[in-house]
Amino acid sequence: MSATWLLTRRNLARNRVRLLVSVGGVALALSLTLALDAIYAGVANQLTTYIDRSGADVWVSQPGVRNLHMVASWLPDSVIDQVQAVDGVAEATPILYSTDTITAGDERAVAYVIGVRADAPMGGPWDVVEGSSRVGRGEVIVDRGFARKAGATLGDRVTVLGGEATIVGLSEGTASLVNSVAFVSFDDFQAMRAGAPVVSFVLVRTAEGASADGVAAEIERRVGGVTAQSRDAFAAGERSRLVTDMSAEIISIMNVIGFVVGLAIVALTVYIATLARRREYGVLKAFGARNRVLYRIVLAQAALSVALGFVIGLAFTGLVGFLVTRTDLNLELAITAASLIKVGLFAIVIAGLAAILPIRQVAKLDPAIVFRRGVVT
Amino acid sequence: MTTLLLEVRDATKRFGEGDAAVTAVRGVSLAVEPGEVVLIMGPSGSGKTTLLSMMGALLKPTGGSIHLDGIEISALSESRLPDIRLRKFGFVFQDFNLLSALSVLENVAIVAELAGLNGRAARNKATALLTDLGLGERLDFLPEKLSGGEKQRVAIARALINDPALILADEPTANLDSKIGHEIMRLLRRIAKEQGRSVVIVSHDQRIRDIADRVLWLEDGAFRDIVTMATDPVCKMAVEREHAISAERDGQTWFFCARGCRDEFLGGGANGPGGQPARPR
Repeated sequence: MSATWLLTRRNLARNRVRLLVSVGGVALALSLTLALDAIYAGVANQLTTYIDRSGADVWVSQPGVRNLHMVASWLPDSVIDQVQAVDGVAEATPILYSTDTITAGDERAVAYVIGVRADAPMGGPWDVVEGSSRVGRGEVIVDRGFARKAGATLGDRVTVLGGEATIVGLSEGTASLVNSVAFVSFDDFQAMRAGAPVVSFVLVRTAEGASADGVAAEIERRVGGVTAQSRDAFAAGERSRLVTDMSAEIISIMNVIGFVVGLAIVALTVYIATLARRREYGVLKAFGARNRVLYRIVLAQAALSVALGFVIGLAFTGLVGFLVTRTDLNLELAITAASLIKVGLFAIVIAGLAAILPIRQVAKLDPAIVFRRGVVT
Repeated sequence: MTTLLLEVRDATKRFGEGDAAVTAVRGVSLAVEPGEVVLIMGPSGSGKTTLLSMMGALLKPTGGSIHLDGIEISALSESRLPDIRLRKFGFVFQDFNLLSALSVLENVAIVAELAGLNGRAARNKATALLTDLGLGERLDFLPEKLSGGEKQRVAIARALINDPALILADEPTANLDSKIGHEIMRLLRRIAKEQGRSVVIVSHDQRIRDIADRVLWLEDGAFRDIVTMATDPVCKMAVEREHAISAERDGQTWFFCARGCRDEFLGGGANGPGGQPARPR
């Protein structure tokens, strides 16, 4: 191990309180950024769960509708046969969709309400843990978390789309922080809409070997008056909408705050540490250490503090994510590679910036300082 | 082992400008032969440390020049000085200035590493040197666990690790008791004589005069003759008889640096707090 690296480590370890403040501060600041990113990614995952798990390879919607969240899409039901007739389409199934509030006792929750035919090959619930996975007239399948909070069980009545329905099934994985998914019968949904011959979306399963994007383009060309997208494109549209609706600006501001707090803490502690060892740096200069050697020591101290803070921040965020899963919150913290890279880059920039002031201190240091009387070591 | 000759030619150092300018060293010339031990004495503020800093390439003279091994180091660019300091000089300080986070061995080895030795070679060399200086049992100690004498021996080992031709010591005995101070000075003399290194010491400790080959008196930034020096019996400071405050007692003349010392002496016991009568040097 080189002496300069050794000195870096020893200087840090020598003042444990300062090290703790520095590493802890960075860990908290980076955790803030990581956690926000993880919450955002987790919610994004949850919000596209229905799209991802619907079983459809292509989503056909009203022209211009490119996502599910906070939109209305209405197509004449004649579109179903037209879509079915397009080359590459194996199956086409309609669903009705609306965002609504479902009520069970005193519990009210926003939900994506999906009207699905009893024999639909796709678009229905994918993980029913209790009761039936098919909904008939006057029936509803709700998320198990919602039912637990409402104290409702199979056979209880809930209010949905302005009418009442009996819970016949409880599904898992159909809730997010902001809403859940409830399934009602297609006919009920249509009746609540005064029987209008419309559908919200046509879900398409492509024939074997056909590409989803190719089939979507073909549907748009052949059917006309519709927007067709592959599942991935539709989910991406949902996430992009989410960026707008989830106040991404606020997340960006919090990221900046996390960055600035982390930077301030590391910069201050490294600066103080350098100031405290000014005389020792002077001794090394007097003995012939070049400035670049001393810069390396200062930079390594900042980098080591930040690296430790990053690892601890990551572990802390992971722990928080794990603990959140043990609560009733419909929240998932998903630490993505992109977030890790971003926070890692944050950390590198923090270490670099934090070392600037101390490096300036060291650069200006007069080696003759060693002859000034000071504290005896 | 070395043909070093340090030459200070008419060196002047001025701090500040205009009316605020202070001349710390004025027109000093000095030549140091290989293996020679030179002691520069003088009162506080006389310019000793400034002169030492210039000799060690830590400070550039305002006028005159400093030559080491025939090279005018005072004319070298700042970028070339680290190499000169690293390989030609060894420093010993009053405050020891050991790196508090490093062990005894690491304090010495780090300077060898700065000069390009790899970690293992640097540690081996430092171990041998420290063992030779009687610190073989203290290699893993932190400086805070050492006595003053041990710290100074570590500092001397650090000064020697890159085989410098010249050791510059600033008040090396000031934080040591008399016995340990003498041991350290004898060690420096032994190093000079056995290894042929030159040693320049600045100090106002009269007790170490006997180890020097040559004693110079610096006052107001210039060398003066040392013909009529005496030791203040109270503070042990060297004082010029001609200019010092004096007092008669028990048939002898005593010399003092200040009235306070004289009053304390006259108000003290039979021989005063300092004990010995002042003798001319």
